[in-house]
Amino acid sequence: MNVQEYISSGIIESYVLGLASAEERSELESMCEQYPEVLQARIAFEISLEQQAVQNAIQQPAAIKEKIMTTVIGSAKVVPIKSTPVVKMNWLKYAVAASLVLLAGSLYWNISLYNRNKQLKNDYANTVVKMDNMEEQIRMITQNPNIKMAAMKGMDPSPASFATVYWDTTSKDVYLLVNNLPKPPGDKQYQLWALLDGRPVDMGMIKNEFFIGQKELLLKMKNASAAQAFAITLETKGGNPEPKGDMYVMGKL
Amino acid sequence: MNPGIKYSEQELVALLQQRNESSFNYLYDNYSGSLSAVIHAIIPDQETVRDVLQEVFVNIWKKIELYDPSKGRLFTWMMNVARNAAIDKIRSRGYQDTKKNLSVPDNADNAIGGVSVQQTVDVGLKKVLTKLKEEHRVLIDLSYFQGYTHEEISKVLSIPLGTVKTRIRSALTHLRTMIQ
Repeated sequence: MNVQEYISSGIIESYVLGLASAEERSELESMCEQYPEVLQARIAFEISLEQQAVQNAIQQPAAIKEKIMTTVIGSAKVVPIKSTPVVKMNWLKYAVAASLVLLAGSLYWNISLYNRNKQLKNDYANTVVKMDNMEEQIRMITQNPNIKMAAMKGMDPSPASFATVYWDTTSKDVYLLVNNLPKPPGDKQYQLWALLDGRPVDMGMIKNEFFIGQKELLLKMKNASAAQAFAITLETKGGNPEPKGDMYVMGKL
Repeated sequence: MNPGIKYSEQELVALLQQRNESSFNYLYDNYSGSLSAVIHAIIPDQETVRDVLQEVFVNIWKKIELYDPSKGRLFTWMMNVARNAAIDKIRSRGYQDTKKNLSVPDNADNAIGGVSVQQTVDVGLKKVLTKLKEEHRVLIDLSYFQGYTHEEISKVLSIPLGTVKTRIRSALTHLRTMIQ
C-alpha cells in the first residue's frame, strides 16, 4: 500500500482517538516502525490534539485540586498496618526497639551495596572481555600481511553507505566492517556477495540484530576461496541464492 | 515544589512510576485543565466533570505502568483514559437516572432511531464538530463522544458497516485539517 494514501486514510486519527479496532491498531504500530513518515504523521496529529485541548482548558478551583490530590495520593498508599494498642514502655524498651530498627536499616543498606558492587564488577568484566575481542580483531586486520581489503562504496539506493571487507588470502577468512548502512526494514536482510568473474557467490547474511543495540566491530562471514570484488544487497529475510534486491555497496579488492 | 521546573514527558513518566508525589502535583497543574476540556466535551454538567476528573487522575496514578511511549504520547494516553472514564460515566445507570429527571423532552429532532444526539456544551473537540457536515458530525458524535461501536451505529442508523467505517475515517481526516 502507498504510504501517503495510508497516512491520509484516517486510520491515524482513529488510532489516536481510540476508535481503531485491535487489528487496525497493530497494523498502524508496525507501519510506524517501518515508515518514519507514518510515525511523524501520528505524532503531529497527537500534538495538534493536545494543543487543541490546551486552548480549551478549563481551570478547576483550588479546592478541587486539594480533594483530588488527597484522594489520589491516598489511593496508592499501602493500607496501614493495624496499630497495636498502646502499652507502657520504659526507656530501655525504646532504646532496644530503636537499635533494632537501626540494625535492620544498616543490614539492608549493606546488602544493597553488596549487590550493587557485584553488578558493577560483572559489568566491568564483560566490558573488558568485549574490549579484548575488539583489540584482537583490530590487530588481526591491521597487522596481518595476508589481509586484502575491499572498500565498498555506496550505490544508488543509499550513496552515503559504506562498508569494508577484510579478506585473509591464506586462511580465506572474510571479515566485514559495517561503517554505515541504513537499518533494514524488519522483513529484509543484507546479504554479502563475493564477485568472481562477474558471478556473485553468497558470503552470508548480516543479522538484523546487528543494527540494534551493542554493535560488534567485525562480522565473520563465510570463507571465500577467490574474489575480485565484494558487494552487499538488500534481500528478503533469510537471503537468496542469487542477488535479487538493490545493491547498497560495492568495492573491488 | 519548585514552580519553575519543567519536565520532559519521559522524566515525568519515570517520576510518576516511582510514585513521586511532587511529580503528581506537576501532572495535575499541567494537565487538569486540558483533561477537563476532554471530559467536558462528553459531559455537560460541571459537577460530574469534576467527579470524572478525579477518577481519571486516580487511574493515571494507578496505571502509569501500562503507559507505553512507543504507542503514543503521554497526553494521548491520558486523553483516552479521560474519554473512557467519561463515556463509562454517561452510560452508567446512576447518571442515566439523574439525566431522566432533569431532561427536557423537546429534543425529539435530535433522536435518531432511539439514540439521542447528546446535548452537551460545544467545547473543545466538540466545537470543531459543529463545523463538520451533518453526516460526518453524527458519526463522530456517536462513535467518539458517545462511545458507540461501529456495529451499533450501523444498526441504529441503518447504514452498512463498511459505509460507517469509511465515513468515520473520512470524517476524521476532515477533523484533523480543522484542528491543525
